[in-house]
Amino acid sequence: MQPDDDAGHPSEPERQRGTEALQGTNEALAGARARTYSPQNSPALDIVELDLALATDAHADARFERTLEPNVRETRLLTDSPWVRSVGRLEMSVASEGWKFPAPPVELKPPPPRIVTEPAAGRHEKNLPQLPDKDQQAKKAIRAKPTADTVVFKDRLLCLLQPPLDGLFDGRQLEVPFQPFPYQLEGIAFLMPRHSALLADEMGLGKTAQIILSLRLLFHQGVIRRGLIVCPKPLVFNWARELKSWAPDLPFETIEGDREKRRSAWFTSNCPLKIVNYETLTRDYEYSSDPKVAFDVVVCDEAQRIKNRDSKTAQVVCAIPRARSWAISGTPIENHPDDLVNIFAFVDPDRIPPDTPPKRLQQLTSDCILRRTKDLVQSDMPPKIMHDLEIELTPAQRAAYDLAHKDGVIHLNDLGDTITVQHVFQLVMRLKQICNFDPRTGESAKMERLLADMEEVAESGQKAIIFSQWVEPLHAIAKQLERFGPLEYHGKIPQPERTPILDRFKNDPTKHVLLMSYGTGSVGLNLQFTNYVFLFDRWWNPAIEDQAINRAHRIGQKNTVNVTRFLSSETIEQRIASVLDAKRKVFNDLLANAEKPATMGLSEEEIFGLFDIRNRPKRAA
Amino acid sequence: MVGMPLIPTQWGCHNVSVPPVSTPITIGFLTAMQESSGWLGGYLVTNSWGRPLEFRLTTAVQPNRVQTALYGPTLTEYVLADLIGKTLVEKTAAKPDLIVTDVPLALGLRSRVEMPVISVKLENVALPADTTAFTHSRSSLGLLFLAKFASERDAIMKLLERVDPAVDLVEPFTRIREAVSEARKMGVTKSAA
Repeated sequence: MQPDDDAGHPSEPERQRGTEALQGTNEALAGARARTYSPQNSPALDIVELDLALATDAHADARFERTLEPNVRETRLLTDSPWVRSVGRLEMSVASEGWKFPAPPVELKPPPPRIVTEPAAGRHEKNLPQLPDKDQQAKKAIRAKPTADTVVFKDRLLCLLQPPLDGLFDGRQLEVPFQPFPYQLEGIAFLMPRHSALLADEMGLGKTAQIILSLRLLFHQGVIRRGLIVCPKPLVFNWARELKSWAPDLPFETIEGDREKRRSAWFTSNCPLKIVNYETLTRDYEYSSDPKVAFDVVVCDEAQRIKNRDSKTAQVVCAIPRARSWAISGTPIENHPDDLVNIFAFVDPDRIPPDTPPKRLQQLTSDCILRRTKDLVQSDMPPKIMHDLEIELTPAQRAAYDLAHKDGVIHLNDLGDTITVQHVFQLVMRLKQICNFDPRTGESAKMERLLADMEEVAESGQKAIIFSQWVEPLHAIAKQLERFGPLEYHGKIPQPERTPILDRFKNDPTKHVLLMSYGTGSVGLNLQFTNYVFLFDRWWNPAIEDQAINRAHRIGQKNTVNVTRFLSSETIEQRIASVLDAKRKVFNDLLANAEKPATMGLSEEEIFGLFDIRNRPKRAA
Repeated sequence: MVGMPLIPTQWGCHNVSVPPVSTPITIGFLTAMQESSGWLGGYLVTNSWGRPLEFRLTTAVQPNRVQTALYGPTLTEYVLADLIGKTLVEKTAAKPDLIVTDVPLALGLRSRVEMPVISVKLENVALPADTTAFTHSRSSLGLLFLAKFASERDAIMKLLERVDPAVDLVEPFTRIREAVSEARKMGVTKSAA
């Protein structure tokens, strides 16, 4: 490369030659201009030919002699694809998972239009007690919750997605005789999700209604399609009546009649709900234990009937093939904690391991047991007033009593070690009968007081129930209460006549008193239209007495129930009452306490302790 | 008598009178909850008594920033109506006569399905444009439907009359939320597929 100063500049001789040539040309042009444009010479113009040819002289320019060397730089050409950055999928997607539930078994009809003039169609709420906190309770939604041992998510969902119970029974959706109390709705919420349950509410709190409504809802949901209710024979009619009342849309049938008819009921009938009494069930063991008759739910009413695990009844009940096991008992522990253990052989056979100490029972069973007392739900119920009435025996009674007592104790002491508890029982019975009526004169201090009380009951238009352990005193009482229209209801009344008797007692305003034996009238009957209960004599077990009292003091009762327990002072009745009162206190705490008493009734030792006798039965070695 | 028939007469046992059977109404209750993980949909189909027939829920939908930018104001309706609502309705076997939602912005679902869609009107909830408000005794809250489907008003009212009077259209959403909460506890919302 040459330096830039030399490039393109002519040399000195070359410049000289160029200057001379340019001067010659300029002179020639000036001469011609003078001749052409002179004003003096304008008429005679001389045309001079000019030689305008320019002499060119080309010289090589050294600058162009040099080889050009281009300065090359690389530049990207737009031949590649444009740069793209991914921003991810613009399209969105979603995944889902679903669960189908059992549909109701049949199509449902929309509700009929409501009758404007009947604001609470199908209900009898006007008969219910007004609760101070009713409005507040009504706002609380009560719903079934899945139990801790419900592990299948679909089952938990089915439970959670059910509508709240408090809206179902307000008379708009389901026909019910009256709207269940909040604690009853909680009972239904307890029962519905459970496969194993013991409803142990105190008598009179409406266990039957809770069971029926739970069954009704489960049938509606399609969760169950076959159910069986097992109950004592006298209560079959009661169940039928309650089913008509609380589940008028739920068909049922009673398993009864001859063998062929019963067989048909077990195997071929497609009625969704069946009722059978314990005796028939035991007779039909080969049918009821057949896997082909499997039930979705079996309800065992008065479950204390199966408290003896080795009894035929208990074995037959436990052998029924079933998915759900519900037991009902207001007295699940009548005598001993083993009662509860044996009931659980039906409710949930695997829940209580063999040889479980009693103090662990509550821990093992608490999730399956629901027990409420009237004290707990007292805002829902009118009160029950207990009167323990101590009565002095009449002189004739006292003489007869003292004589019988003295002779009886001497006889027991004479028996030596051949004495048995039956000997003691015989004396107790004899003395108690004297406390009721003098066997010679028929005098009765209790009767005198009862007559006075019945005058008051009848005058106020009320009705009363009188309980006794025996039928004979009931006959005697009936005679003396003739003017009050007495009706008798006990074991000597044929079964078909019993229900009409109860109907008369309820509906006939001249019938003010019903005479009942503990054995026949203590369970399952609804006599809440009665406001007075008299226990003419005392039963051995406080639970049985409570059941008797609760025929009147139960759900639906709208007035205070007055209970009078007659007690002859300074007699065997008073001694038994002292023992039973202590037992009753223990019983009330039983389901909540870890420590259980050995027995709830009178133990053999306690029976011997009623008298001043030192002898005891001889035991085999 | 306000009792419902449950069992057909051919069972031939005690105590039942069965009125003529009519076609029951089926209702779909659709909700969507916005959580930290995104929008999560729940759908409960019930009979006219409010009893559950089928339940379905979705995984959470979380639009990213680009999707949010590009979908712009149409994003919410797209997520609620197209993505969650339509998916749930189509995948559920039980077909409802009426869909009720508690998310008014999901009312656009009506354009994607064949049945009427109404919304309960909760307080402090964004409303789409052009909705028509109405009331009915079956709902303790006001109700809405899209104004462009005003011709369906009579049909909607007739459907609501077939819902049991004890049912409150607002109530089932509480159940759905409890069920979704349970599903979350059990880890089902992550595995829904």
